[in-house]
Amino acid sequence: MNYLRELPKFEYLAPQSIPEVCEMLAAHEGEAKLMAGGTDLIIMMRRREVVPHYLIGLKSVPELNFIREEKDGGLTIGAMATSWEIQSSSLVRQRYDFLAKTAADIGSIENLHVSTIGGNLCDGFPCVDFPAPLLTLDAKVKLVSQRGERIVPLDGFYLGYQKTAVEPDELLTEIQILPHNHRYGGAYIKFHDRHAIDITTTGAGAFITLDSDGQTARDVKIALTTSAPVPLRVKGAEAALCGRKVTEEATEEAGRIASEEASPRTSWRSTAEFRTKLVQVLVRRALRQAWRKVTTSSSSGAAPDLWLMHPLDPRIGENR
Amino acid sequence: MTLEEVIEREGYSVIGRPTPKKDGWIKATGEAKFADDLYFPGMLHGKLLRSPLPHARILHIDTSRAEKLPGVRGVVTAKDFPGILYGDFAHTRDYLPLAQDRVRYIGEEVAAVAATDMDTAEEALDLICVEYEPLPAVFSPEEAMQPEAPQLYDRAPNNIASKSEFHYGDVEKGLAESDYVREDTFETQSMKQGMLEPHACVGLWEGSGKITLWSCKSSPYVVWRHLAMGLGVDPGNIRVIQTYIGGSFSGGKQEGMPMDFCAVILSKKTGRPVKFVHTMDEVLVIGHMRHSMKIRLKTGVKRDGTLVAQHCRIIANGGAHASIGQLSIFLPGLGLNLPYRVPNVQMESYRIYTNTGFAGALRSHTQPQICFARESQIEMIAKELDLDPVEMRRKNARAGGDVTPSGFKLGTFGFLDGLDRVIEASGWREKYGKLPRGRGIGMAGSGMISGARLMSHSASSAQIKIREDGTVALMTGSADIGQGADTVLSMIAAEVLGVRVDDVTYAMIDSDVTPLDPGAFSSRVTLWTGNAVKQAAEDARKQLEEVAAQKLKADPKHLVFRDRRVYVRHDPQRGMDFASLVRSTQNRLGHPVMGQGSYTSGDEPIAVQGGYGNASPAYSASVVVVEVEVDEETGHVTLAGIWNASDCGFPLNPMAVAGQSMGAFTMSMGQALYENLIRIEGQVMNPSFRDYKMPLIVDLPKVENVHLFDIITNDPNGPFGAKEAGQGPGDGVIAALANAIYNATGVRVKSLPISPSKILSGLEESRSNKP
Repeated sequence: MNYLRELPKFEYLAPQSIPEVCEMLAAHEGEAKLMAGGTDLIIMMRRREVVPHYLIGLKSVPELNFIREEKDGGLTIGAMATSWEIQSSSLVRQRYDFLAKTAADIGSIENLHVSTIGGNLCDGFPCVDFPAPLLTLDAKVKLVSQRGERIVPLDGFYLGYQKTAVEPDELLTEIQILPHNHRYGGAYIKFHDRHAIDITTTGAGAFITLDSDGQTARDVKIALTTSAPVPLRVKGAEAALCGRKVTEEATEEAGRIASEEASPRTSWRSTAEFRTKLVQVLVRRALRQAWRKVTTSSSSGAAPDLWLMHPLDPRIGENR
Repeated sequence: MTLEEVIEREGYSVIGRPTPKKDGWIKATGEAKFADDLYFPGMLHGKLLRSPLPHARILHIDTSRAEKLPGVRGVVTAKDFPGILYGDFAHTRDYLPLAQDRVRYIGEEVAAVAATDMDTAEEALDLICVEYEPLPAVFSPEEAMQPEAPQLYDRAPNNIASKSEFHYGDVEKGLAESDYVREDTFETQSMKQGMLEPHACVGLWEGSGKITLWSCKSSPYVVWRHLAMGLGVDPGNIRVIQTYIGGSFSGGKQEGMPMDFCAVILSKKTGRPVKFVHTMDEVLVIGHMRHSMKIRLKTGVKRDGTLVAQHCRIIANGGAHASIGQLSIFLPGLGLNLPYRVPNVQMESYRIYTNTGFAGALRSHTQPQICFARESQIEMIAKELDLDPVEMRRKNARAGGDVTPSGFKLGTFGFLDGLDRVIEASGWREKYGKLPRGRGIGMAGSGMISGARLMSHSASSAQIKIREDGTVALMTGSADIGQGADTVLSMIAAEVLGVRVDDVTYAMIDSDVTPLDPGAFSSRVTLWTGNAVKQAAEDARKQLEEVAAQKLKADPKHLVFRDRRVYVRHDPQRGMDFASLVRSTQNRLGHPVMGQGSYTSGDEPIAVQGGYGNASPAYSASVVVVEVEVDEETGHVTLAGIWNASDCGFPLNPMAVAGQSMGAFTMSMGQALYENLIRIEGQVMNPSFRDYKMPLIVDLPKVENVHLFDIITNDPNGPFGAKEAGQGPGDGVIAALANAIYNATGVRVKSLPISPSKILSGLEESRSNKP
């Protein structure tokens, strides 16, 4: 690993619109790097892990920063929405409290104001937190280039460690979440060594929609952080729960299956063995929490989370 | 006696009252100038080239391309220095300003550049070509001790950098006579100081030969000596000026560092001032860290829990340099003599060279490690013998007046009072063994020195000048490193002279101006420098007393100095304003009011290689209880509450004592649960505060669950009875946490940090062992 140094020399480009970004990407293919919040990129550049000739800053592209409700009831989040904007958006909080909480727990207050959801997704690190909850929501991303635009499901977006479906000339512009027509509840639970902000050792997201019988899970989605080279959906565990009542035994079983599907690695940060154990526990807890929400919520939305009243105290209502 | 009773009895007007730190305001507003805030006309920026290899011979260094880079004003290598080793202990000295023919760890300084800006300096580093011949490297102390292991220094066979051995009583006989003998091995990790201000300095070498270094030095006089030694110049030519210090914890600011040498030598070469500032990356990669240790502790006890004999063997990873390691390896011996009475003790401790960043002192210099071992083991013995761990500690506790087998003379030692306080306050009797699963309580005790009596330079000195407006200029050689020296020493002067704390200015250390002093380390400042300040203030007061006695027609013995007035005790109306007394004395009578004082603790010898002798003029005692909650599915630990009683003699500034106590236990908690400098093949894997995990505020218990108690013993050797308060309170915290985690889960972890994965593995093991 290289030591942290001053930034290398680069040319900063400040496009004002999406077409302009695409033009620059096409013109400098292979030599340019997009900069969203820069919380990871700047450090990678200071360590000389990435030395781009051009830095295309996305701060000045207003059309990338929004959180809006679509006519069909879906939710679309612009790539440049910051973690802070997501955690404080009433739209996100009402619909997907766990997504707001994921955003709130990403880092320090300063970091929340700088880091963006698009940057987080495009990093391609398995340890970042946004992919797992978004995977459970079946989110899709829009990729735009001079060649046109395409919609790619997040499930399949990650091709390998630090490898995504984004082509060198493409820009991720937004994240789309389709409306949910049944009662639902979701949760994302992560483990790290400290109580305070920290890199996620392992995380698990779960999202459950309730069948019209009000008794059984119509659909279950489970996704993991830092449990494989990519953010991972564990479909075997999901299948085991679909159409069932999410009982203690069922969450236990799903946790066990998920831990078999996971393939975390051993690194100096943690061991594969410990991470596998965590998957089992965190999946169970996420399912339990999601089920509690889905069965206690009054309408289609999620039940208010205790956390929402204490956004700055991570120890309140923690992980249980 | 309570604090209030002592204040009342002694009539204190300043001390004993919670007093905010003098520089709090300017530090909070950003007005305080740290070394990195200094700018001089024409100043250059320096940068160090570091070794990428853990062990290699330097065959050749070519700096020509770097020198030609526009903006580069100078490049230096070892050739620019006289090649004189510098350091603390003459027999282990092995520092050079830059590596000469060999590098011994990844990060060792090889060359330095000065350029007009930082970017250019860094770019120049890339242009320096160093030809290395890699040598076999060794990273673990045990391997390094093997006969066939790579040798780091010719003078140190088997890579033994330093050792300390002692044997008092007869351990073998003691163990034979014991009813129960237990042996355990404990392992502790490498830990960094984590001070928030990285090292920084500005060096200036003037044409006249005068050398000035501005830097955040906690022991400016040590640096002054080191610079003279390593540069081979007359110390009189060197001036070290202290800047504000953003934490020290002996993380390098106590001595001359490569950056200091390079700043002044590059200034000589370029004729300009040169500034160096480490990045936090560099701070975490270079040496200066707590020794990681393997501690094998064998203890023999009687059936009733009476300690009979203790044998301790320590292997410590010293890293690539000797540093202050000779002292480091002696100090764990304190833990065999304090806080319990063990008649037969033996220690064999070895500090081993390896190809890793070197270890040295860190707050409470080796005590947390030895306390972790001893206090964990006491708990295990108590369990085995079905004894109450509190009563076992009480039975063996030392008390004031004791002389330990190694010759420590305890004047006061409030261990038992502390034990009673925390047991009662924590509700121990209602909680121990009675809490629900996953919840646990644990305790530990410890003892600490108030400043080591070093055989080189121990004595402190102080000077006081009183200005005509009645304000007091106080000068010592002990830097304020954030611990509150500026405030507590000013309080001592203010108390003696009857002025207010705000009337006293505390000077930054300047080796051309302020009195000689070893500096701020070893919990020595309040007691040693405090005594010198008290004496200096008394000296100044005596000069004023003579004049006041004449003016007020009173016996000097009957005069009271208080609230900026001097008056006759039995007739307070008969008095005068302090400032006018100063003006009369100084401006009219021509007697400048200047006091001086010094303190030392005698010349009676003590040998750090393991010899008998009194290590310190006073010893503090601490007892700590912690309560934890453990998530038994993930192994995650939450520190729910802490009760800490420490015998600081007398809390001169209770606010600072509380702050020090909290700081000490927070650092120990970090070592217990999170912190670990991880290295693979000598390469630091986590050189940032993102990955080197210190506890943050949310990791600490809520304020209402933090309970600190000052045990007052009024030590006869301390100024106004005060002893140390900055280190002892943290010593037992690691062990207390280990014991509490055991109490909560039944899992005994004997290696640090006590990570969730270790707890989880332990839980699984105990589950599978159950029939």
